[in-house]
Amino acid sequence: MPVKEFKLPDVGEGVAEGELVTWLVAPGDRVEEDQAVAEVETDKALVEVPSRYDGTVEELFVEEGEIVPVGDVIISFRVGEDGDGGGTEGEATGEPTGDSDAGATESATGASAEAESEADAEEPATPSGRTFAPPSARRLARELGVDIAAVDGSGPGGRISEADVRAHAEDDGDSDDGPSVKSASDAPDPKPAPTPTDSGSSGRKSAVKKRGGSGAGSGSEAAATASTGAAAPGPAGRETTLATPATRKVARELGVDIDDVPTDETRDGEAFVTGEDVRAYAEAPESAGEAAEASADASAPEPKSVDVSTSADAAGATGASPASESVSTDETVPYRGVRRTIGKQMERSKYTAPHVTHHDTVAVDALVEAREELKPRAEEQGVNLTYMPFVMKAIVAGLKEYPSLNSELREDEEEIVLKGDYNLGIAVATDAGLMVPVVENVDEKGLFELAEEVRDLASRARERELKPAEMKGGTFSITNFGAIGGEYATPIINYPETAILGLGAIEERPVARDGEVVAAPTLPLSLSIDHRVIDGAVAAEFANTVMEHLEHPLLLLTH
Amino acid sequence: MVVGDIATGTEVLVIGAGPGGYVAAIRAAQEGLDTTLVEKDAYGGACLNRGCIPSKALITGSGLAHEAGNAESMGIHADPAVDMGKMVEWKDGVVDRLTGGVEKLCKANGVNLIEGTASFADAHTARVAHGGEGQGSESIEFEHAIVATGSRPIQIPGFDFAEDHVWSSAEALDAKTVPDRLGIVGGGYIGMELATTYAKLGSDVTVVEMLDDILDPYEDDVKRIVRKRAEELGVEFHFGEGASEWSEGADGGYLLHTETEDGDESTYGVDKVLVAVGRRPVTDGLDLEQAGVETDDRGFIETDDRTRTAVDHVHAVGDVAGDPMLAHAASKEGIVAAEVIAGEPAALDQQAIPAAVFTDPEIGTVGLTEDEAEAEGFDPVVGEMPFNASGRAMTTGHTEGFVRLVADDETGFVLGAQIVGPEASELIAEAALAIEMGATLEDVAATVHTHPTLAEAVMEAAENARGQAIHTLNR
Repeated sequence: MPVKEFKLPDVGEGVAEGELVTWLVAPGDRVEEDQAVAEVETDKALVEVPSRYDGTVEELFVEEGEIVPVGDVIISFRVGEDGDGGGTEGEATGEPTGDSDAGATESATGASAEAESEADAEEPATPSGRTFAPPSARRLARELGVDIAAVDGSGPGGRISEADVRAHAEDDGDSDDGPSVKSASDAPDPKPAPTPTDSGSSGRKSAVKKRGGSGAGSGSEAAATASTGAAAPGPAGRETTLATPATRKVARELGVDIDDVPTDETRDGEAFVTGEDVRAYAEAPESAGEAAEASADASAPEPKSVDVSTSADAAGATGASPASESVSTDETVPYRGVRRTIGKQMERSKYTAPHVTHHDTVAVDALVEAREELKPRAEEQGVNLTYMPFVMKAIVAGLKEYPSLNSELREDEEEIVLKGDYNLGIAVATDAGLMVPVVENVDEKGLFELAEEVRDLASRARERELKPAEMKGGTFSITNFGAIGGEYATPIINYPETAILGLGAIEERPVARDGEVVAAPTLPLSLSIDHRVIDGAVAAEFANTVMEHLEHPLLLLTH
Repeated sequence: MVVGDIATGTEVLVIGAGPGGYVAAIRAAQEGLDTTLVEKDAYGGACLNRGCIPSKALITGSGLAHEAGNAESMGIHADPAVDMGKMVEWKDGVVDRLTGGVEKLCKANGVNLIEGTASFADAHTARVAHGGEGQGSESIEFEHAIVATGSRPIQIPGFDFAEDHVWSSAEALDAKTVPDRLGIVGGGYIGMELATTYAKLGSDVTVVEMLDDILDPYEDDVKRIVRKRAEELGVEFHFGEGASEWSEGADGGYLLHTETEDGDESTYGVDKVLVAVGRRPVTDGLDLEQAGVETDDRGFIETDDRTRTAVDHVHAVGDVAGDPMLAHAASKEGIVAAEVIAGEPAALDQQAIPAAVFTDPEIGTVGLTEDEAEAEGFDPVVGEMPFNASGRAMTTGHTEGFVRLVADDETGFVLGAQIVGPEASELIAEAALAIEMGATLEDVAATVHTHPTLAEAVMEAAENARGQAIHTLNR
């Protein structure tokens, strides 16, 4: 059965790398073609990476949180199994499955008899936990007044039969001690509990998915359990160890010899170590030293001589680890993913395009009125009409008159491209950072249509459900910081666009009219331009046109 | 005493003839008890008349039409026309046969049937107002009572089931025509079953759900498979939105208004709105307090493991006695109630109650999930068999989903199963039997299963958990 490697695909146009945020699968999981296997955070979006194969996950090569260049192998699959009888898929992992559990392990796990010692035992309570007995035996127990949780089962795994219930009832008759008050776990076992042999049980463990540590470890396994981390682990001192490259990197960084890291896990018969194992080992108390040696002797089937220098290394690494430094109240937040993408974009824009910001204020009495009048109509169509569509239309009017603000400077080609489309980006603040979805062809759309589209894009931006393509192709951007508060700002251009208009809050402010100061709703505007392309005068004229259309919204009809 | 009131006596009075009540009545009669069953509406309760059975009839009908029209890959070219009126008529025929059967069974077992509305007068007397005007009423003295009054759909503010375009599940199962656009409030199992049904019948279905996913109690991978398939069928989902009101739309239809927690509002054009946000117990008019029985703050009657209420000789079974609100749980409780009254050593000692959701694909679950098993102190081991590795699944054309068994690693006892895929509702029965019998993984794996069947997947999952699967890679 071939193993297929799978590279981080190009998840969005022009994306060179991504942070692997979450693995959605683990080795051994079956995946289907197109099933998502990982979440990768890239160019302003969280993308699910789909599998290209039907198969079983063989290995993950990247740790969560790593930055992965496009084209790097991140996962491998075992493919080619196609079910239905025919295929010889017995390849399996080839581990022996010690079947010692079939015998009879004692102990009534889970039959947590509630100590409801009802004085009159004529109506035994129903045990609240699981009871491993068929319904007929449970009913018989009630009939005979027996607490089924106290019955020793003679079947596989301790299953209780009707005969067991009857036997228990007869025993009870002999000894008068109140039965059944003791909980199942501390009930003395009448016969020695046959513990599965160590070799058998460990063989079985490796063949199945099993949680480490939590097992009700029967004493003899305690030594082996110690190696999973709670107690001070000793160096395992293997000759070879399997681990992912990422794990090996962690080991190098922590100064740990990966062959010394204790583990229960094996792959293809070789010890397998995870990043967590390495960290747990590195963080173990320094006193691990001697005590660990002893326990290593006990747990490792073939004790190897312990390399003192490497264990000293490990101890040294521990000393240097941040855990032992004096406590700082600073919080470190990774500069990655969306945050870093925004940062790079801002840096590029601000350091490339000489920004000039033009401020002005427009009185919008008529606009407020117009919106009030249209709002109920919009609601009839299920649309919540905001001021944004009006502003967008006014901007398009301005851009048509002053096309240099709807442009892109291509320095290498030594040309300015005046865009034929009016695609407006709308900056949206989301929990993950700033996103700028684009409303295309604003000139061709109605107010209601625009309102609905902005709402849809903004809500999906907040849900991080935007496709990368929906954030491309903008020719001019709007940032509505006034939605949060404030009058003026100095917006940064959404490079390679050449202009951005910031909107303050529409509020009543003092306005001079006919020599008197009156209160009127006004909209403060902040227009940033790329001064390489646009002159200050043009910017001011553009602003005037936009303001004129907002002051007299009827003018919007002329476009 | 009201004019026309006559007094009779009975050993066991059962109120409500749904799957809890009629089963209780029949078993009580079988135990030799003089039993009276009062029903105010229709024999069979919500299950037979407005729930399980009618929905399965429409799910089958819509599924058949959809399958027939989407089987080009099998070489079948068809464009089935659905006569909704006729389909509902057929469904009604099925319902009539079943409810008629319930009535006959009750009579054949010697149950006294009374049509009317019962209420408690005191701890040993109930009044039954006969249906219809001038029919009078009677008082019934009883030794034991079993309350099995069931539940009804929850109505939410702004959506009155009295409105023509506002549906509860009952109206959705009785529609004479298929709405062009159906808005569904609630992505639980009722909402999802009907979303699937109507999407297959050709409606544009929009599901609005307050939570961030469908089918709240199920595991993520189970939900994902069902949600994906529903999306393929054209169902649109809007999560995190609650329905606030409806209004008339410009196009002659209606607008379903929703609101998020943050106050963001949306509207969706619909022709009908189905409200499926759950069911609440029916105790109004029952005058429970006259018998000394109280309900909890959600309106349910609290019972013990013998189905007894706080008043020993009054039992409650089924939906009115709280979760799980499932017909088969009600029937089991009904049997236990009757047997306890008869002095049998019965109790609600079942280890697990299976549940099925008849979406596409279906979901069947029983017992513990892996997480639950761990929380209960087991060391769980899990085995899976995906249906895309099942030959029989391939030949049905439905390979989505899997069978998952959860067992205790130490003893091998089967603790639970989650099945999503074709016929999951049927397949779950085997897992339920395994759990009830205290079977181990080895027992299930070593039981020969017929080839080629979907049920083989249960055996394979058990083998997989033991690291011995043949048709899947072991893990």
